[in-house]
Amino acid sequence: MQGIAVPISVVPGNSPIHRINPIPKMVWVLGILVISFITRNPVILGGVFLLGLLFVTIAQIWPSYLRVVMVLFPISLTLILLQSIAPAFPQPWTPIVAVGPFTIWQEGIYSGLSLLLRIMCMTTFAMVMIMTSHPSDIFASMQKVGLPYTMNFILTMTLQLIPILQSEFNTVLKAQKSRGLKGTGFAAILPSMVPVFVGAIERVQQLSISLESRAFGSSGQKTSYRQVQFGFKDALVLAAGALFSGAMTYWLLVDKTLDWSRTLTFSPAFALILFFGAGIGFLLFIAFALRLVLTA
Amino acid sequence: MSAKPIVQVENVTHVYSRGNVTALDDVSVTINRGEIVGLIGQNGSGKTTLVKHLNSLLKPTKGRVLIDGEDTEKQSVQAMSAKVGYVYQNPNHQLFARTVQDELEFGPRNLKVDEAEIEARREEAIEFFGLEEMRDLHPYRIGFPLRKLVGMASIFTMRPDIFILDEPTTGQDNITTQRVYKLIHRLRENGHTVICVAHDMILLAEVVDRLLVMRDAHLIADDTPRKVFAMREVMESTHLAPPQITQLSLNLKKGKVVLSVDEMLKELKS
Repeated sequence: MQGIAVPISVVPGNSPIHRINPIPKMVWVLGILVISFITRNPVILGGVFLLGLLFVTIAQIWPSYLRVVMVLFPISLTLILLQSIAPAFPQPWTPIVAVGPFTIWQEGIYSGLSLLLRIMCMTTFAMVMIMTSHPSDIFASMQKVGLPYTMNFILTMTLQLIPILQSEFNTVLKAQKSRGLKGTGFAAILPSMVPVFVGAIERVQQLSISLESRAFGSSGQKTSYRQVQFGFKDALVLAAGALFSGAMTYWLLVDKTLDWSRTLTFSPAFALILFFGAGIGFLLFIAFALRLVLTA
Repeated sequence: MSAKPIVQVENVTHVYSRGNVTALDDVSVTINRGEIVGLIGQNGSGKTTLVKHLNSLLKPTKGRVLIDGEDTEKQSVQAMSAKVGYVYQNPNHQLFARTVQDELEFGPRNLKVDEAEIEARREEAIEFFGLEEMRDLHPYRIGFPLRKLVGMASIFTMRPDIFILDEPTTGQDNITTQRVYKLIHRLRENGHTVICVAHDMILLAEVVDRLLVMRDAHLIADDTPRKVFAMREVMESTHLAPPQITQLSLNLKKGKVVLSVDEMLKELKS
């Protein structure tokens, strides 16, 4: 039951990526965000995704990263499945092959794949950033950049609250099991979620009181206990991120031949394998989840 | 009260994998049916780790724990909850239902007790804990001391053989403290086994038959409160102080060790 929580928080380590200032990392995340939304080209998105996986490897955060991806897994399968029969794409659509009452569309496969890759690109880079930067470092560097104190506080507080809520959830789940609660599925949601949310609201209330009593929002020059360095290497990473995303954005906007939505054709075999693969995968996932709920 | 062991902790060592902390080091203890046991020690001495083994929330890294002769190793927490009732220190972790009444029914319903019996237990608990006025209120709308009583009542309706009370009187006012005392006496009369993790020495002096003292993952003393309070070195090494009246009797260095004011009066008169 310990493993139920998804660790969207910093993973301690001392990799080259851990040592980089949070600001350049954020620039990368922002750049990748822009690139992912500008293009639907699967090869470019795939390339960016692979680059992200390279960063995951350098940061040595594979186990935590995979746990996040596991959560996205059923979503990606439904995405492929639904997009191929009902593309989120302007008409006209080109049919590839018919499966019973459904038609698999050329644009559907294209749209499904590119949406999936988009999500993977953004998640990968965002996770690398969050899992390699201590929330306090993020706070301190945002402060330096000049983000308003209150805004900054809200941002980092949210990041810090996630692990707290996760441990709270574990405690509550244990308490409920001590009262004979069975199941990890729907039956467990209310008994375990109510105390967590009530606890969270109470915590926020207390936090606001304690902030007030410690002169939150008072004016004057603020110093930080945690010092973040911004060295030559950080500048280099920042420049690389800005340059990479800037150049990519320019290229993608100018070069219209990169729009492959009408030119890239998928073979019926590929379309069928993808469609049924996703379908079977999704059913297996449902069966697995049901079994987990029923046997618990 | 038969002297049949209901809890057997045999050479249990527990190492928390995160941080590699040894919280229990080769601890053995046997508790008989119907005993009222107090467990004291500083924070971090392993008290909570020890009691969490009793309802299978934690499994021993080494050694074994037998509850009523059954090894907890293969048992789930849910299965153990019928035998071992664990009242958490913070009631907010346990309570979730819309009304106090629903809260009391949740435990026995999980144990598949039949409806007539659930109702009888619910009514008994409401009467015993004095919750009549708030039976239809949301548990979070009543004050903390009473909410803590609701937490205890919600375990009480499950009728476990063994009650584990984690800091039952912390943060309680005088009235609810008295009710906790009453509860423990009542459980004793009904032949339940009670394990009380507490810092409240007065509570322990008053209700407990036997006191276990923990320090740095070891069990360092196991005797009646009267004898344990008299062990100066043990008490000092754990930074725990006996009730003031007991300290006074210890410092007088004559007569017997007393546990309450009444006892002291009797002693002085004789």
